[in-house]
Amino acid sequence: MSTSPRKRPASDALVAGGVVVLLFAIVAVVMWISGSALYPPAAVTTQAKEISKLYDVVFAIAVAVFVAVEGLIVWSILRYRRRPTDVDLPPQTHGNNMVEVLWTLIPTVIVLYLFAISWQTLNTVDYTSVANGQKPDIQIRALAGQFQWQFEYLDGNGNHIATQTRAAGEGGGMAVPVGKKVYVTLRSGDVIHAWYVPRFLFKRDVVPGQENHFEFTVDPAELIDGKPATFHGQCAELCGTGHRVMLFSVVAMSQADYDAWLAKLVEIEKATPPPAPSGAPVLTLGAKGIAYDKKDLQAPAEAPFVIDFKNEDPATITHDIDIHGADGTTVVANQEPIAGGTSTQYTYDPLPAGTYQFFCSVHPGVPGMTGTLTVN
Amino acid sequence: MATHALSPAVPAYRGGLYEWLTTTDHKKIGIMYLINSFFFFLIGGLFALLVRTELAAPGIQLFTNEHVYNESFSIHATVMIFLFIIPVLAGLGNYAVPLMIGAPDMAFPRINALSFWMLPLGGVLLLAGFLTPGGAAAAGWTSYPPLSERGALASPGPGQDLWIVSLILIGTSSILGGINFLVTIFKMRAPGMTLFRMPIMVWTMLVTSVLVVMATPVITSALVMLFIDRNYGGSFFLPDKGGQAVLYQNVFWFYSHPAVYVMVLPAMGVISEVLPVFSRKPLFGYKAFIFATAGIGALGFSVWAHHMFTTGAVFLPFFALMTFFIAVPTGVKMFNWVFTLFRGQLTFSTPLIFAIGFLTMFLIGGINGAFSAAVPVDFALHDTYWVVAHLHYVLFGGSVFGVFAGIYYWFPKMTGRMLSESLGKIHFILMFIGFNLTFFPMHMLGIKGMPRRIADYAGDAGWNDWNLLATIGGFTIAVSMLPFLWNVFVSLRGGKLAGDDPWEGNTLEWATSSPPPPYNFDRLPAIRSERPLFDARHGLHTHDGPGGQSDEKAPMALEEGSHDDQGPTP
Amino acid sequence: MTAEAHVGHAAQAAPSGHAQRGISNPILGMLLFITSEVMFFSGLFAAYFATRAANTPWPPDVFKDILDPLGPIIIATVILIASSFTCQFAVWSIRRGDRKGFVRNISITFVLGIIFLIMQVYDYMLLFSEGMTLGSGPFGTTYFTLTGFHGAHVFGGVLMLGVILYRGMAGQFSAKHHDAVEAVSLYWHFVDVVWILLFSILYLI
Repeated sequence: MSTSPRKRPASDALVAGGVVVLLFAIVAVVMWISGSALYPPAAVTTQAKEISKLYDVVFAIAVAVFVAVEGLIVWSILRYRRRPTDVDLPPQTHGNNMVEVLWTLIPTVIVLYLFAISWQTLNTVDYTSVANGQKPDIQIRALAGQFQWQFEYLDGNGNHIATQTRAAGEGGGMAVPVGKKVYVTLRSGDVIHAWYVPRFLFKRDVVPGQENHFEFTVDPAELIDGKPATFHGQCAELCGTGHRVMLFSVVAMSQADYDAWLAKLVEIEKATPPPAPSGAPVLTLGAKGIAYDKKDLQAPAEAPFVIDFKNEDPATITHDIDIHGADGTTVVANQEPIAGGTSTQYTYDPLPAGTYQFFCSVHPGVPGMTGTLTVN
Repeated sequence: MATHALSPAVPAYRGGLYEWLTTTDHKKIGIMYLINSFFFFLIGGLFALLVRTELAAPGIQLFTNEHVYNESFSIHATVMIFLFIIPVLAGLGNYAVPLMIGAPDMAFPRINALSFWMLPLGGVLLLAGFLTPGGAAAAGWTSYPPLSERGALASPGPGQDLWIVSLILIGTSSILGGINFLVTIFKMRAPGMTLFRMPIMVWTMLVTSVLVVMATPVITSALVMLFIDRNYGGSFFLPDKGGQAVLYQNVFWFYSHPAVYVMVLPAMGVISEVLPVFSRKPLFGYKAFIFATAGIGALGFSVWAHHMFTTGAVFLPFFALMTFFIAVPTGVKMFNWVFTLFRGQLTFSTPLIFAIGFLTMFLIGGINGAFSAAVPVDFALHDTYWVVAHLHYVLFGGSVFGVFAGIYYWFPKMTGRMLSESLGKIHFILMFIGFNLTFFPMHMLGIKGMPRRIADYAGDAGWNDWNLLATIGGFTIAVSMLPFLWNVFVSLRGGKLAGDDPWEGNTLEWATSSPPPPYNFDRLPAIRSERPLFDARHGLHTHDGPGGQSDEKAPMALEEGSHDDQGPTP
Repeated sequence: MTAEAHVGHAAQAAPSGHAQRGISNPILGMLLFITSEVMFFSGLFAAYFATRAANTPWPPDVFKDILDPLGPIIIATVILIASSFTCQFAVWSIRRGDRKGFVRNISITFVLGIIFLIMQVYDYMLLFSEGMTLGSGPFGTTYFTLTGFHGAHVFGGVLMLGVILYRGMAGQFSAKHHDAVEAVSLYWHFVDVVWILLFSILYLI
């Protein structure tokens, strides 16, 4: 019962080869139709462009390996099916030192090459002026808290200029000038978050008790007709029930626009809240441990009123007091959030008599962050 | 093949419930592992369907309370990893390893039963979280602190504590199982079964068990520290009390990366048994394969921080280099498998089809992992759906396809009956299509910026179509389970009788009856290579060349008159 | 050839270890179990060093001299080390077939283990009275976690010693059959070594 050399019609090989080619043609067509589906979005920072280049190299090697190995598998399946005439065993090949050494060495060389180029790219991407004794053009401290971002602008000496506290949907976000080195430090006061902007091809964790940092420069070519360009960003590390609403945006603009924007932010921060209408009743409400200290508030109907609001949570956690209409969904009063450790006076326009729900727009759905406002 | 006078011809395992509950027979325990694992596979699958339903279209459809969404994906992953993949492979190993090395049972049968019974207990504890105020654990299967610590917006309820206790229990079960496998493999091999004649399945279980014994206790330490933080005022992972949040991640991944190999090496072992049998060839490069397995196990301990590239707290170049190096032994294995098929005589029975599914899909899981090993690219891909795609190509495309290859391969041995080939093929086609529909689009979602673990996304982000496709795929996978379950159901009752060796197998389990008697073997064939039954059938084909010792050809020498060595030992 | 081909496996299944080559199943199992325990403590030790490196001064000023290596703890340490010796004497006794010597030595080990546990509880009470608990910052958390888990292992070891003492008094061990004794003594030595490491890093360096 010894083995016999295999006699197979040449047409077998033709068919098998044909199917392999056909398969890859289909894969190629599908990839061509889905277009850039497997490519990263267009990179907008100097660093992202490097990452994108690296991605292209890895992708090319990946496709080559995929085609070679899957091709070999499909070929073997089609070519070497057992036929009724196959009574004798096929050659009992136990191995072949030559090819085994080859397929150990070639992947080793490939991965060493990949390691070398990714290290090179890493050095560019992780470069920061601060680590190299220079001063960045812009310094921003991103403060992450469940579930909102704040961006504190710092001057060359690390001193506070102004803080952007607005929520993502309410004009919030991080403005930066194009073509400038922007140095970002990351701070969290509660759990781990991650600063992620897909078009920067970049994310970094915001770890409580540890200050991470990175630097980027937005390509000036991103401004079309000098108009600001907005890039979507969001938290990428699970941070609780509001993880998906922890959005922000990076708005790249010309230096002149940026200067004006920052000046306005300083102005807003310095402005004293408009004086409460005289005679308006002043209610008080506090927030601590992601919960209001009162569940019920009373206000007179058809008259303006004021809530004296104190946020006693850590600095990274913002709160506000918005009001839902009777239907529980329409927002009839929308205030801007304030950071932890600060207080403000919110003035509310007259409301008709009825029962309303007040809530924190940063923490929608959190049981402690809602209550009933009775207007009569 | 000759029938055995001493082997029961009727299908066994009709014993009463009490016998099953108290058994210490590795075969029954192995089967109970499989049943328990598939039960939890269905539960984990239901949670996956909930998640996919929510994500099918933008807007919140299902989870008005998003905490429940977080519970769903956390419990999905925990159940799939700790109550399905790890135990199902341990179950296959439990069934196959003693048979494959010619042993009558595991080294410690009662500890074996204990290991098994800890699993359903752990599973019940985990799911009991849903009954507690605050619900089940919702901080992801990784449960990173401070999110998994107590705190108003973290994990205030006892669900997280139940998660911890459940994982410690399941981990202890794994450790005891691992010790049992190691002692069994080192001490219980039949005469002639040297280490380098052991089936690859046994080798992969050996390396897996080393990983389990050395890595699982480390996650236990992380879990007890988390428990102390949560319940006794500890400060290990709480930065405001002097602890470090990233410390948990280091300890956690020191286990959980090797755990990936715990979840995939035995599946590699299964297909390394299936491919040679259905190609009628030996595994190409048997020894190289063993060294590659050991190499993966060893390197597995030095790559944990590649899950933490974006934390800003690890030394990137070292972990990147080690991670890239893992591709080398994995590549060696891939080529060994493909060259086992190459120039063989392939019979496309369901086990082989699932094994080929493993090859084609695991390859993708290896390739898309290389993207994340390139650190700067990982800055883009980490914690996006790309990673979800990657891990499912490894753990589903790899391990689950391997598990099904094993189920179809050993079902005849376990029950004495064949599974239906046509239902098996329908199962494969549905699962293969559903799997790729679900997980391939996740590459696109990830690279276009969709983070994991979000309950909803904006309709204008360009993610709608891929998400819908993935959801359709998810339900296709669910549907593919129906022909499988039906197949098991009808085949148990009226499947074709299997006989002792329906596949012309290579390894010792095919030398006994189907199902085997409680003591496994009446007698064993000579063991002079890793394919003792093949040698008995065709003569010894050594590495030196076919027919080199063919004059020593030993036909299945299982005739009567040799059970004098069954007598009591002095 | 036929004989070779038909070697049964029954010899493999021999119930007691001494008939086999190499170490017996229970002893190998215990060595592997100890390996996993070593990894468990490695996780805790790693956490200890990481926490210590991130918190200066260590110990914090409030607990500056609270851990005195020359306090009662040195007596507990000597007792535990001594018990490792008596445990080994017990093993040597039973290897010689000296059942009386075995029971005597294992009894002493058992009692010494209990004394160590009592002293640890006493030590904890002293620390509690000085305000150091699991909840008092990284110093307290790491100290009580490490020593607490060690204590739990000592307790487990004492239970095992109790079992082999009972079996030994019932005459179940002999010069040939005493795998359980060997296994328990390995475990006891392991617990002792962990304590020496713990004592060194917590009290001395």
